[in-house]
Amino acid sequence: MMTLEISDLAISFPGLASPVLTIDHLALEAGGRLAVTGASGSGKSTFVNLVSGLGRPDRGRVVWRGVDIARFSESQRDRWRGQNVGLVMQDFHLFAGLTALDNVLLPARLAGAYNGEHKRRAHDLLSRVGLARPDQRIETMSRGEMQRVAVARALLRRPGILIADEPTASLDPEAGSAVGSLLTELADSEGATLLVVSHDERLTERLGRRVRLSAGRIVADSALEVRS
Amino acid sequence: MIAFALADLRRLWAASLTIVLLIALATALGVTVTLQERALRLGSARAADKFDLIVGAPGSETQLTLSSVFLEPAPLPLVAGATLTKLAADPRVAWAAPIGFGDSYRGNPIVGTTTALIAGTTGGFTTGRMFALEGEAVAGAAVNLEVGAELHPMHGSGAAGDDGEVHAETTYTVVGKLQPTGTAWDKAILVPIQAVWHIHGLGEDHDHAEEGEEHEDEAGGEEHHHHGAIDADAPLDEHFDRDLPGLPAILVKPKSIADAYKLRQEYRTGGGTLAVFPAEVLTRLYATLGDARTVLMLIAYGAQGLLAAALLLITVIHVTQRRRQIGALRAFGAPRLAVFGIVWIELLGLVAIGLAAGFAVGYATAEGLSAAFAARNGFRLPVEFTLGDAGLAAALLLVAGLIAAIPAALAYRLPPVEALRS
Repeated sequence: MMTLEISDLAISFPGLASPVLTIDHLALEAGGRLAVTGASGSGKSTFVNLVSGLGRPDRGRVVWRGVDIARFSESQRDRWRGQNVGLVMQDFHLFAGLTALDNVLLPARLAGAYNGEHKRRAHDLLSRVGLARPDQRIETMSRGEMQRVAVARALLRRPGILIADEPTASLDPEAGSAVGSLLTELADSEGATLLVVSHDERLTERLGRRVRLSAGRIVADSALEVRS
Repeated sequence: MIAFALADLRRLWAASLTIVLLIALATALGVTVTLQERALRLGSARAADKFDLIVGAPGSETQLTLSSVFLEPAPLPLVAGATLTKLAADPRVAWAAPIGFGDSYRGNPIVGTTTALIAGTTGGFTTGRMFALEGEAVAGAAVNLEVGAELHPMHGSGAAGDDGEVHAETTYTVVGKLQPTGTAWDKAILVPIQAVWHIHGLGEDHDHAEEGEEHEDEAGGEEHHHHGAIDADAPLDEHFDRDLPGLPAILVKPKSIADAYKLRQEYRTGGGTLAVFPAEVLTRLYATLGDARTVLMLIAYGAQGLLAAALLLITVIHVTQRRRQIGALRAFGAPRLAVFGIVWIELLGLVAIGLAAGFAVGYATAEGLSAAFAARNGFRLPVEFTLGDAGLAAALLLVAGLIAAIPAALAYRLPPVEALRS
């Protein structure tokens, strides 16, 4: 179970005077549910990049269960992310020309972590997200189906963290709602810490805790509101 | 990784195919030039193999070689018949044989010579036997005549525009068919030299020295001259110890290499003779051809260099275009080396397929040229690869591997965050 603790974090981009994201302190318990909301340009994507290890802060700590990934090298972060993070993105980033099953297995294969168990699990996950044809080519699928494949791919290596960046933004409401349900259900059954960046309220309302970003700072945190 | 690269190439099949075609064509150009030049060299080296030393009248060494080895029709000056008498009696000579040109049959040159030359330059008969009478002939492997066929020789080469007269009163009977030698002689019809002399009214009771002069441009086939006829049933006379008519060329088989050099020295200058080692003359010719080959190879290398530069440009653009894909791969946990590997393998795979196709196309082209050459000249230029070609292919692959590493390194260095944002 993965806990998250962010402290003293700041990141700037060249040419911008103020930091893109500054977080003095943010903690999330293992198996917690966190929704991050905010207008575009508020720092949401930067937040996803930093907690998933895609990017690195200028200063500060991003500690997942005692491990500060902000100190990792790029290759170390790649490896760590592959083992611990399941990513679901707005644009799916599935690979045309491959079947649903091969798309689910691709990251494990490329990381050299593939074993026979992965294949059984991929079949299992695909049926759990409601896809009956694992050998269907990705480019022949609907957008809703594609995002289901992406969810299955994210969970293949039993990550302790599930991060979704606007997972429903490019789907119609019905498909978006289905994917939202899948994310929470599967995070529950897999025991993963779930972190969703979205401005889809129907999705964020399902999650226990909501944090709102504005101009690179946390301006609202439902956990603190409850406490105060 | 390989499965992904394959799926990627399948998706981009049109661009991939274009790249493969470009590489194949550039490679084929170089391969064809190399193979064809080598085939020419091998083919004529093989053709000259049995022709140790040729003695003729003073004139062009190249023409003497081309006419004797490749049976290229050309007017040759005649060397005095006494030269053959002298050579035949020389203790350093294993055998010396006259080569008499001038007649042809349906485009096949008729060469007057001796049994010694046929035995010494061919691998024997596929059917039939050696000629034993003046009216008998032996056909080369590529001659469209079988044993038992009869033919009337025609004066001249029989080539287009060369309307020689037919020696209607003369008939040769084919009694043997030779095994293929892979040389121009496969197209020749070999007859006893005495028959050639008799047809042209030589070697009778004339003043032979004058006859020789008179027939200097005989091979050109222009002049009308008095003929005689052969006595088809006359026995062979291969004792060249009496007065003989002039001859275009004499093939000499020396007993040893030392003898060969001594004989050439002796017959090279003065005494109204010219002696050449055909292999040496051909080597000199290739030195000239070699320059042409160098130019062609430079053109081929230039084409390949331009192509490499163009491919580099294309692939760098390609990597830029797939930043998102590469970023996504990294985001989902693919190591940087895997990303490098995918880009590198895709490019190298295309280059390898292109190279293989290029070698195949080059080989096919060289074979086609060789076949066209064979149809015209009667013997094949052997198209073969050597170990050096494998080295060339390996070197090209190595260079391709290095060039492919550039876009692969670009992909390797691409930060996933930036790639995803673009």
